[in-house]
Amino acid sequence: MSTISTHLRNFKEPTREQLNLLFFSLPIDAETHGGEKAASGELERMEISAVLTLGVQNIEDAYPGKLYLIPPYLAFSSLDRKSVRFTIPLSTIRRVERLNARAGIYALSLSLWHNTKIVVQLTSLRPTADLFCSLLRDALKAELNRGQMKAVKSFIETCYSESLLANIESDNKENAGSKADSGSTDSLHLGGLGLKFKYPGDPRKLREASKMKLWTTYLKTHGRNLTLLRYPQYTRLVQVGLPNRLRGEMWETLSGSLYLRFAHPGEYERILKENEGRTSTSTEEIEKDLHRSLPEYPAYQSEEGIGALRRVLQAYSFRHPETGYCQAMNILAAAILIYMSEEQAFWLLQVICDRLLPGYYSPSMHGTLLDQRVFESLVHKCLPILYEHFTAVDVQLSVASLPWFLSLFINSMPMVFAFRIIDCFFCMGPKVLFQVGLTILKINGEELLQVQDDGGFIHLMRNYFASLGDSAHPESADPRARAITRFQELLLVSFREFAIITDEMIQNERKRFRGEIVHSIESFSKRSAIRNLKTLHRFTKDQAGLIYDALFKAICIEPPPAASLPPPSLLTTKDSPEERPETRIGLKTFRVFLSEIATWARIEKIVSNGFQQRVEREVAEHEFIDRIFSFWDTDYRGSLSFQDLISGLDGVMFNDLMENIEWFFNLHDKNKDGYLTKDEVLTLSESLLFIFRYEIGDAYLGAVSRFMSNAFEYGDALLPRPEGSDPDDDPPPLESNQPYINLATFRMVVLADEVLESFFESDFASTFRLEPVPMMEMPNANTSLLGGLWDTLTSSDNRKIFNRLTDEVGRTIGKHQVYHRPAIGKFATLEEPKARESLLTPTMRRSASKASLRLEEQSTPRVDIPSTSKSAPANLNVPIRGEVDKAEGGLSPSAYSAMPSMFEAAATAAALMERTPFAIDDAKDDEDDESEDETEGEDDGVMDEVDAFLEAHDSGLTPAEQELAQDLIHAEPVK
Amino acid sequence: MADASGSSADKSVQVKLVLLGEAAVGKSSVVLRFVSNEFQANKEPTIGAAFLTQKCRLEDRVLRYEIWDTAGQERFHSLAPMYYRNAQAAVVVYDVTKASSLEKAKTWVKELQRQANPNIVIALAGNKVDLVQPASAPSPTPVAESEDEADDATATPGEATGEQPESLRQVPREEAEAYAQEAGLLFFETSAKTGEGIVEIFTEIAKKIPIEQILASSRGGAGRAGGVGGRTGTGSQQGGVNLEENAAKGKDACNC
Repeated sequence: MSTISTHLRNFKEPTREQLNLLFFSLPIDAETHGGEKAASGELERMEISAVLTLGVQNIEDAYPGKLYLIPPYLAFSSLDRKSVRFTIPLSTIRRVERLNARAGIYALSLSLWHNTKIVVQLTSLRPTADLFCSLLRDALKAELNRGQMKAVKSFIETCYSESLLANIESDNKENAGSKADSGSTDSLHLGGLGLKFKYPGDPRKLREASKMKLWTTYLKTHGRNLTLLRYPQYTRLVQVGLPNRLRGEMWETLSGSLYLRFAHPGEYERILKENEGRTSTSTEEIEKDLHRSLPEYPAYQSEEGIGALRRVLQAYSFRHPETGYCQAMNILAAAILIYMSEEQAFWLLQVICDRLLPGYYSPSMHGTLLDQRVFESLVHKCLPILYEHFTAVDVQLSVASLPWFLSLFINSMPMVFAFRIIDCFFCMGPKVLFQVGLTILKINGEELLQVQDDGGFIHLMRNYFASLGDSAHPESADPRARAITRFQELLLVSFREFAIITDEMIQNERKRFRGEIVHSIESFSKRSAIRNLKTLHRFTKDQAGLIYDALFKAICIEPPPAASLPPPSLLTTKDSPEERPETRIGLKTFRVFLSEIATWARIEKIVSNGFQQRVEREVAEHEFIDRIFSFWDTDYRGSLSFQDLISGLDGVMFNDLMENIEWFFNLHDKNKDGYLTKDEVLTLSESLLFIFRYEIGDAYLGAVSRFMSNAFEYGDALLPRPEGSDPDDDPPPLESNQPYINLATFRMVVLADEVLESFFESDFASTFRLEPVPMMEMPNANTSLLGGLWDTLTSSDNRKIFNRLTDEVGRTIGKHQVYHRPAIGKFATLEEPKARESLLTPTMRRSASKASLRLEEQSTPRVDIPSTSKSAPANLNVPIRGEVDKAEGGLSPSAYSAMPSMFEAAATAAALMERTPFAIDDAKDDEDDESEDETEGEDDGVMDEVDAFLEAHDSGLTPAEQELAQDLIHAEPVK
Repeated sequence: MADASGSSADKSVQVKLVLLGEAAVGKSSVVLRFVSNEFQANKEPTIGAAFLTQKCRLEDRVLRYEIWDTAGQERFHSLAPMYYRNAQAAVVVYDVTKASSLEKAKTWVKELQRQANPNIVIALAGNKVDLVQPASAPSPTPVAESEDEADDATATPGEATGEQPESLRQVPREEAEAYAQEAGLLFFETSAKTGEGIVEIFTEIAKKIPIEQILASSRGGAGRAGGVGGRTGTGSQQGGVNLEENAAKGKDACNC
């Protein structure tokens, strides 16, 4: 029971544009859902150099930077990327004016919803600036047409900052805003559980009132919620801690979840409504954790708080079934719900999980593991002595640091402090976690160097966090120094000494370690998948590993439908939500899987064009493969698990002659009554023909045609006759779907034929090969940088182009050849089909081996055919050298080649032949998979028979299709 | 660890123990029952793993258990090796009222036997046995109840009210016991709620741990740690208090 996930392989490093969106707290493209975005997606994006000047008061500051048009947003960042920036929805722009300033200056004045003004001077060349303006005009028009401008008003009313400022204007005279918190209109605006259950911490100590005052001034001057501009003062205000009542809205604005909420009105309610009453693994897990999410906070001892927490977590899990619910999300959600409404929390959770902490809460938790690795590497860089000590005493950083990152310090340190770190986290991004983490270690460096084990590390950290409210310098004579708490010291050191930790640095470190993490996660899940198998059957663990690799690759190439997740809304059985879903593959993936293991389940074309020789591999499709799929699907679930594949392969890979015959029989005996019908005999012959489709020579075709005639002959002979009738008479006609031949008869028919016997004896088993899945073909496996993935892609594209080019050239100079690699590859020469009796004459033997010898001498020196050869063993796996054992049965007079040289042997042998029945002509190499049919040049009796059979059996074809098929068969090769 | 390296370093032996098992089988409750004075620990939900310590007296030795109580959610599975590495003991918990939890326990045992410290002592604990006992089962002490309540978040909702003894049982004692014997595990049926079998787990583990070996190997470390100086007052104060309490309660808990 395990899930196999390949999504880590699909990871792509964010593009520059995506990083930009991330920087501006905007949804990255993949995140945008629904059609409403499609319209704006067509609008062009553009960036342009610009200088931002404050449009208000007398401040003369000007910030050179870049203005970005990212419909439906307009964003700006100063050159240093931190002093000044804004992200505003275009719909909040009320008016754009071109300023008539001095000549040669191209300046725009944007009036925003909150009566603030932004003045930007476009410093690019005039045509560029004109282009930007016209794009801006188009984008604004589109927003107007979408009706977004109207949505702004009602949306903004939900923001607390509006009421804050309104209150102040009204009570301006009496009370300068200190009582804003208790305003009567307060309840109309969104807020969190803290409104009713109080916010953690002492408001006096937190100096709420004076913080509120500062913010009021800021918000009044520089806009708020949707139109907020971030000036340097802003970051400082955030660093001293957001006031409680404003905190929720500020988090929304800083993280950008505000824009999501703005763009998807009502979605939260809708998700809840659509999924009402639905249960899943996630909802069950959520239920377990509701009562232990910040249990000491009063709201979470009441149904009100628990209910809100439940709804937010469930809504997230419904919207993101691939992530579902991960422990620690409960803590985050519980924490943010103190400060914001459910809907706000829902969108903020979205931004945290998808953008700020990507992959942290996914089922593999790869983001967590990766960032722990990154953190470790940063500790190595910044605190090398500590790092070495930890290595020496074998202390693992993650035992303490993992919860810091996973729950944003909320359950590590007292909440009031954790929230202040979170303020900075939303304002300055994920790098804050690393900065604070490093500082914690640095401040405790002395003691940490004495720590001897994980337990000691945890203890020390726990004590440190408990003391964060204490004075950092209790002995100091200076009262101001004594007043500095350890927490203030922590923040101070974080931003002062670890300012070197930048977003870019973290991006690069993530890039550096991603391959390593992906590899370790994948090998971990491989090990547990194998360990969790109920039985390995006769496979060794290594072989099971190879089968797993093939399965993994197949899933990479052909991802199974997401059916492994409980189908939505169907699963309303309240009592038993699906336990740990197991990865099961459908037919499509199975075909790919089998093509990795069985040689006949793939089409391998050996292409040589005078420049290069290469093998092109495709997945074969045939009813035979589909039949095996259902045959192995013993529970009739329409899908196969890893265990099913192991069991299925076990049933076929270790068989001897008799078992193989029986396996083949059972595979085709659909109703399992112990008899094949006439139809099934024909199907079975088709299966054989499918397996033999690329074999060189006619031996196998002959064998199949003999098989058919024998099967019908014996079958008819053994049919029960009506009593008293003449045994020589024709049997009464039997419906083609009636039981016809049993296993014993089938066995007899098979054993009557030399080629088939040897096929069932060993050739068939040898077509199953457990070979290491080439790592090259696994996307991104051998590159430690995930950026390598892109390289691989491009280079494989390049390779395709190169291949096409050389093929073209090869074709013009007549060197282009394509051969199909045979599945069994036993016969490298053209052999006349021989009945078993005739083969037994010694003269035949000798001449046959001589004939092949002659051929071989010309063709390839690597294939040794002993001149004294009387017989050759049928088993392909026995290498033929000078000594040939006295195998009596195997009489295939032909050249063998060890598998590795098959490539060469087949190609060269085929090249020698004027016309090889199963190799495609030079000119007809255009991936014509029907090339089996292209054999009429080889007009011996056998082919006629086969053709006749195929035609007779192709009753499913319409006359028109038949005609087309005929045309194809008789078509002249294109010269 | 550094804090322990004071006066009692010569006598106490440190044993790293990890708790594993499916979600909601009561791992945290088992630990809480054992480490009763760490009651407030339930304030911290288990992210990755909760870390607790408890002393346990065995004859003339004092064992100091360092307990790593891991998160049960499946996706935290890949983090488990971080916690069970170097562990000398493991308690794998399942829920006697949930057959699938024994299967999960078996995979944990398999994993431990393959990946963990080769000498690891593993105990299998079938928890929640109070649910399948006749109603006349020993009445839980009031202290125990209040303790449990706080941590029952992990427990199956509504379990406490299910009053149909035996019918709830999905894992027969014999079956689990046979498996434990076959796999070479200590076996207990426990109830974190009533306290049944909890102390026994830890004392039996203590008997099976090669104490002398650990002592010999950790001497060096303890010696080094003994030289600790100049740590800040706040840091050691808190740790010291905790340890003292642990020690006191530990004596009560382990009557061996």
